[in-house]
Amino acid sequence: MDGLHSLELDPLLGRPGHTAALLGNEAIVRGALEAGVSFAAGYPGTPSSEVTDSFARLGPLLADTGFSFEYSVNEKIALEMAFAASLAGVRSICAMKHLGLMVAGDPLSTIPYMGVVGGMVIVSAGDPSCLTSPNEQDQRHLGPMLHLVVVDPPTVADAHRMTRQAFELSEHCRLPVLMRITTRVAHSRASVRFGALTPPREALFQRDPSHFVPIPAHARKLRLEIPGRLERAIEFLDATGFTEERGEGTTTAIVASGAPAATCADLLDEHDLWSGLRFVSLAGLHPLPEDRLAALLGQVDRVLVVEELSPYVEDFLTGLAGRLQLGVEILGKRSGHFPVAFEYTPDVLLTGLREALDLGPGASTFGEAAPLPVRPPVLCAGCPHRSAYFAARTAFGKDQLFFSDIGCYTLGFGPPLETADALVCMGAGFTLAAGVARVTGERTVGFCGDSTFFHAGMPPLLNAIKEEANLVAVILDNQVTAMTGHQQSPTTPATAGGRPPGGTHAGVVRALGCQQVETVDPLDLEATIAAFERSRDATGVSVVVLERGCPLHVEAVTGQPAHEGTFQVDPSRCGSCGRSGCGVACDQGLSIPFERSMAGSRASREPPSAEHVSQPVAPCSVSCPLGLCVQGYAAHIAAGQDDAAVELIESRTPLVESVCRVCHRPCEDACVGASAGGPVAINDLKRFAIHQGGKSRALELPPDNGLQVAIVGAGPAGLSAAWDLRMRGYSVELFDAAERPGGLLRHGVPRYRLPLEALERDVERVMALGVDYVGGVRLGTDIWLRELLDSHHAVVLALGATDPSGLDVPGVNEEGPPRVVQAVDWLKAHRDAPTDLAGQIVVVVGGGNAGIDAARTARRGGAAQVTVIERLPRERLHASESEVQAAQEEGIALLCDWETLSLVRSGVPGLRCASTSGGQERELPADVVIMATGQTPSDTWLRPGDPVLEHGPTGALHVDPETCQTSHPGVFAAGDLTVQPNGRLTQTVTGAMAGGLRAAWGVDVHLRSELEASERPPPPRSWDWPVSAPPPLSVSEAPFDARAVPPERPAEERVEDFGEVVGLLDEETARAEAARCLACGQCGNCRICIDLFGCPAFYVDGGSVRIDPRQCSGCGVCARYCPNGAIQPVKE
Amino acid sequence: MAVGVGGQGVLTAARLVGEAARLSGHDAVVGQLHGMSQRGGSVEASVLIGPGRSSFIGAGCVDVLLALEPLEAVRAAPRIDTDCTVVVECTPVVPSTVGFQGVDYPPVEDLLARLESRCRRLVPLELTARVRSEAHPRCLNIALLGALDALDVLPLSAGHLWRAIERGTRPESHEFNRRAFALGQEMVSG
Repeated sequence: MDGLHSLELDPLLGRPGHTAALLGNEAIVRGALEAGVSFAAGYPGTPSSEVTDSFARLGPLLADTGFSFEYSVNEKIALEMAFAASLAGVRSICAMKHLGLMVAGDPLSTIPYMGVVGGMVIVSAGDPSCLTSPNEQDQRHLGPMLHLVVVDPPTVADAHRMTRQAFELSEHCRLPVLMRITTRVAHSRASVRFGALTPPREALFQRDPSHFVPIPAHARKLRLEIPGRLERAIEFLDATGFTEERGEGTTTAIVASGAPAATCADLLDEHDLWSGLRFVSLAGLHPLPEDRLAALLGQVDRVLVVEELSPYVEDFLTGLAGRLQLGVEILGKRSGHFPVAFEYTPDVLLTGLREALDLGPGASTFGEAAPLPVRPPVLCAGCPHRSAYFAARTAFGKDQLFFSDIGCYTLGFGPPLETADALVCMGAGFTLAAGVARVTGERTVGFCGDSTFFHAGMPPLLNAIKEEANLVAVILDNQVTAMTGHQQSPTTPATAGGRPPGGTHAGVVRALGCQQVETVDPLDLEATIAAFERSRDATGVSVVVLERGCPLHVEAVTGQPAHEGTFQVDPSRCGSCGRSGCGVACDQGLSIPFERSMAGSRASREPPSAEHVSQPVAPCSVSCPLGLCVQGYAAHIAAGQDDAAVELIESRTPLVESVCRVCHRPCEDACVGASAGGPVAINDLKRFAIHQGGKSRALELPPDNGLQVAIVGAGPAGLSAAWDLRMRGYSVELFDAAERPGGLLRHGVPRYRLPLEALERDVERVMALGVDYVGGVRLGTDIWLRELLDSHHAVVLALGATDPSGLDVPGVNEEGPPRVVQAVDWLKAHRDAPTDLAGQIVVVVGGGNAGIDAARTARRGGAAQVTVIERLPRERLHASESEVQAAQEEGIALLCDWETLSLVRSGVPGLRCASTSGGQERELPADVVIMATGQTPSDTWLRPGDPVLEHGPTGALHVDPETCQTSHPGVFAAGDLTVQPNGRLTQTVTGAMAGGLRAAWGVDVHLRSELEASERPPPPRSWDWPVSAPPPLSVSEAPFDARAVPPERPAEERVEDFGEVVGLLDEETARAEAARCLACGQCGNCRICIDLFGCPAFYVDGGSVRIDPRQCSGCGVCARYCPNGAIQPVKE
Repeated sequence: MAVGVGGQGVLTAARLVGEAARLSGHDAVVGQLHGMSQRGGSVEASVLIGPGRSSFIGAGCVDVLLALEPLEAVRAAPRIDTDCTVVVECTPVVPSTVGFQGVDYPPVEDLLARLESRCRRLVPLELTARVRSEAHPRCLNIALLGALDALDVLPLSAGHLWRAIERGTRPESHEFNRRAFALGQEMVSG
C-alpha cells in the first residue's frame, strides 16, 4: 500500500501528513481508503456523485491492492453488493443520494437484524432546500426507525475522520453506519490532513445461518440482539469524539447537529457571542448520547437546538427533560426560533440566535434586489433531448399528455417544450403514463432516460406490456448518466469508458415481449417525427428508442466537439415571408399552435435546396392572383384556428365565399404536393375555414379622407376595388346596370356553383363598409365618363366583358330552328330558374367555363341531350377540370377537336361540324344552340367628349400593370375590361378581384402618394414572380396521404335542381388535409426557434433573432425546421 | 464570492482562489453549490479565507465579488458588503428566458450603476472578446483571476494565484491560461 501513496497518481493518494483541499465527498473517499475499504459501489445522484466518481477513478489504480468499485445499476443493488462484501468479512461502502436510499429501503431494513461482518458504511447525501432534488429528507429518523447508526459530520474534516472511524464503529456494534451528509458538506472544499492508507483485508465468507438467513424464527431472536448493538454504538461514539463540547456557561446551551453546527460556531466566533454559552456539537445522531444530554439538561436553564429540517434532537431533548422532570426550556423549531424547512443560512441562524440569546435585532442588510431575468437551468445547446421533445410535440400535438422521469431530460418540463405533465421518481415515467392511460382511456407518452431505464424503468415497461397498456414509451438514450456528471450507464460505449454488456434497448424491449419498437437518431428530425407518428397511430405499447450520445460527453471523451462549426441567422430571411419587397407584411401576431403546425410541416421534408433558397415564396402564393398566404391559412386550419385562417384570407379579399367556390385554382396546379399524394385541396380548405370560422372580423376603417371615387361595374373587380378603397378612406360610389351588385357572380355563375346566399354575404361584406351603390344605371346611357370624372376625384372602370365574340358561320344569324342564344344571356336568364327544356336537344359551342356552365344549366332544365362541341383538344380546354368532369358525370357529351362549320336550318335542325384533324364532317341535331365562344369588352359606353383610352384589338383597355391606370390620368380599369401586360385578357374571377385591388392602390398612389398608399399595399403582381413550375423540393420518406376530396351530390340527384353540387370537407378530413401542406415558402409570422425550440444559443436582440456563437454546438437541428431557411452554417 | 453562468468556470475560479490562499498560508473553505446549475443556470461559489469551518456567506458579507457576467453580478448584489470590491466582466450571456414571453435583458450600464451604488469599488472589465482571440474562449475565468491578482485585494502572497492555477489546471491548458492571466493583469494595471 505504501507504494501507492502518490500524489502523481491521484490527488486522493497523498502521503500521510499531507494536507489537501478536498470536497466533503472526496474526504469520505480518502477516509474509507485509510480504513482499508475493500469494495465500494454506488449509483450517481447529486450531491453524492463525487464519492462514486472518485472511487470510479481510483478503482483501476488500486486494483492490485484488492480494492474494487462498481457503478451499480441502482442503489438497491449497490447496497446489496456492499452488504455482500461485508458478509464476506471485508469493509465496504456504498454511496447514493437521499432518494436513492429509499430505493434501497428493503435490504436496508433487514441488515441491522442480520448484523454486518466487515464494517459497512452507507453514504447518503441529503439535500436541504431541494437544491437538486424533488424533496428534502431528514434521514436521521432512519436511525430509530430501522436501528441504524447515524453519523452526520458538520465539516469536511469531520467527514474524513468520521468515515475512517465509522468502519471500526460498524464492526464494533455489527450495525451498518449511515453516513448522512448534506449538500453543504458534500460540496464544500476544505483542508484535510491525510492519514495512512490501509490495505484491504482478505475476504472470507463464513457461514452463519442463524444470522444470515433471517427467517421469522431467526428474525425474532435477532431483534433482541439489536439493543445490545446500539449500546455498543453509544460506547464507541462517546469514546471517539463524535460529541464535542465547548464553553462552560450555565444558563444557555446550544445543541447543534450536522452542517449548521459549523455555521453556528463560525457565527458565534464572528459576532463574539461565546460568553456564558455552552456549545454541544452532535455528530452521532443515532443512538444519541442520552446520558451526556441528560446531564446537560440538568445544568442549564435553556437549550437552543440548532438542526436543519425536523426537530429531531429538539423532540428528543424535550422528551428527555419531561421524563427527568427538569424545568429546562428547550428552544428551536417548535418555539418558532428557527424555520421548519430548508437550510440554515447564516442569516437564518443569526436571526434565531439573536432572539434566543436576547441580543436584539441586528443591523439591517440590503433589501431585495429589483427583479432580474431568471436564468433557469435548460437543456444545453445541441442536446439531443431538445430535438426529441420538439419532434414529440410536433407529432403528438398540443393536447398530448406526457410523463417524464429523472435526468437531464426532466428539463423539458418548462416552456417551450413542455413535455412533462407529471413526474415523481426514477422509473415512474412509464408507470404514470400507463396508469393515466388505464383510467382515462387516452393514449399517453412516457419518457425515460437510458440510465433510468435500467435503474427502474424495465419493470414498469414489462408491467405495461403485460397489461397491454395504451402507451408510447420513449427511451431517451444519450448513452451516459449525464445529469450527475457523465457517469457510465449500461449503454455507455466502450470507446467512452463504458462497459456495455452488449445488449441494446431495443433488444431488451423485444425480450420483454414488445415487438413494436424502433430506434432512431433524435437529431434526424424527420425520422424522429415519423417514428413518433407511427407510434401515435399504433395501439398497445409502442417503444421508440432515441439513440444519440450526449455531445458534452462525446467531447469530453474524444477531445473533439460532437459537431463541426456553428450556425447563424440570415436576417434577410428571418421573419420575412419573402414578399415584403412588395409591401406585404404579416401582421397576424405570433401564435404557438400556428407555429407548431408550421414547424411540423417544415420539419417533415428535406432542408431547403439551393433552388428553394432562391425562390422563397411558396409556388401556391406566387400563382395566386390575390397572393393569398396559403401555407399560412393551411397551418391555421391544421392548428384548429379557423378564425385566424379566415382573417388571413379576408385580409386580401372580401369575396371569400365566392373565391372559395369559383376560383380556377392556379395554386393547386403549382402545389409541390402534386408528386406526393396530389396537390393540397387548397380551395376546399379555404371553404371549410370560412364555413367554420365564418365570422368576419370587424374591420376598422380609417377616417374618411374626403376624396370620392366612382366605380362603374359591381362585379368581382368593382366590388374588390370598392372594398379596398373604403379601407383606404375613400368615399365610393358604385354604379351598375343591375339592381343588385355582383355582376358576373350574380348573373354569370350558376347557383349550383355559387349559391345566392353565399354571394349575398360576400356583397354585404363590401356594402357594410359604407359603399354608395347606384343600381340600374348604364355607363354611356344614364351616366357619362366625363361627367363622372368631373364629379369624382378618380374613376375605376370595371365593366367586364359583355359582348359575345360571336361565331361567324353560315346560318348563324338566320331565323328558325335551331334556336341560337348567347351563353351570357342564357346563363343570366337561367341561372336559377331554367326554362323547361324537356325532350330538347341542346348543343353548346365552346368548351370554356361559360360553355360548361351553360351545358350543365341546360341539363338542369331537363334537356334530353346536351353536347358541348369544342375545337381544342380535351386536355387544353379553358375550363376547370373539376367542372368538365362534373359535366360529364351529369351525362353531358363532350366533342373535342371538332369545329362548327354552319348552322343547319333545313331538314333536321342542328349544326354541321368538322374534325380539326380534317377528313371528317358530321351533322349534330339541335333544338337549341348556345354560343359560348368568349366575350369581349363592349365599347358602347364611350361618348363624344370622353377621354380617349388606349385599347387593344378586342377593345380591352391597356393599363399600367401595377396601378391599373389607363392612358388617361384619373381613369383606372380592372377585370375583364383590361389587357394584362402579357397581352392576355384577365378572364378569371380571381384575376378580376386582384385587378380591382390593384386599381384601388393605383387610385391611392394617384391621389395621395406612393408613400401613403403603401400603408395598405396591393396584392403582389403574380406575373412578376419567376416561378412557373414547382421548385424542386424533395419530400421525406414519410408516407403522404392522398389529397382529400370533398363530398359531391350524386349526378342523377343534382341535375334535378340548382342546389350546390360540391359539399364541405368534414372537420377531421380538413385538419388532416391542411397538415399535408409542406409550408414550402418562407413565413413572416414565425419565431419557432425561440417559441418552440428554446435552444439557449438563440436570443432576441432588438427584435431580431440571433444565435450566440459561444453557445451554438453546430447540431443544425434548427436549420431543419426553420420555415425560412434562415439558419445557415457559418462559413469559415 | 465568484458568480457567473454554468459553463463559465465559476467553480474552478473559486477553487483556485482557495488554493492560492492555502499556498499563502491561510486556511480556506470553498463552497461550490452546483448540480442543475451546470446546465446554463446561475452559479455561485463562495471562498472563505481564514479560520472559519463553514462555506456559507451571509447577506451583506462578501468582501470581494468576482463576477463573470454582469446580470449575475447584480443577482449577487444583496450579498456584498458596502466595502466590497466588485470585479465584473461586462459581456452579457443572455439567458434563454430573454426574448421569450417578453423578458428583456437590462442595459449593461444600468446593471453597472446598480452595482456601483452598493460597493466601494467597481472594476468593470471587457475581457471576453480579447480572451477569445488571444487565448481560448474557456479562459475567461483565468483572465478575471489575473485582474484579481493585479488588484491585490485578497490576502494572497505575490505569484501564488498563478501558482495555484499552474498546479490546479491541466498542463495542456497552461499556455492559454498564462496568456489569459496576463491579459487580465494588464487590463487592470495597464
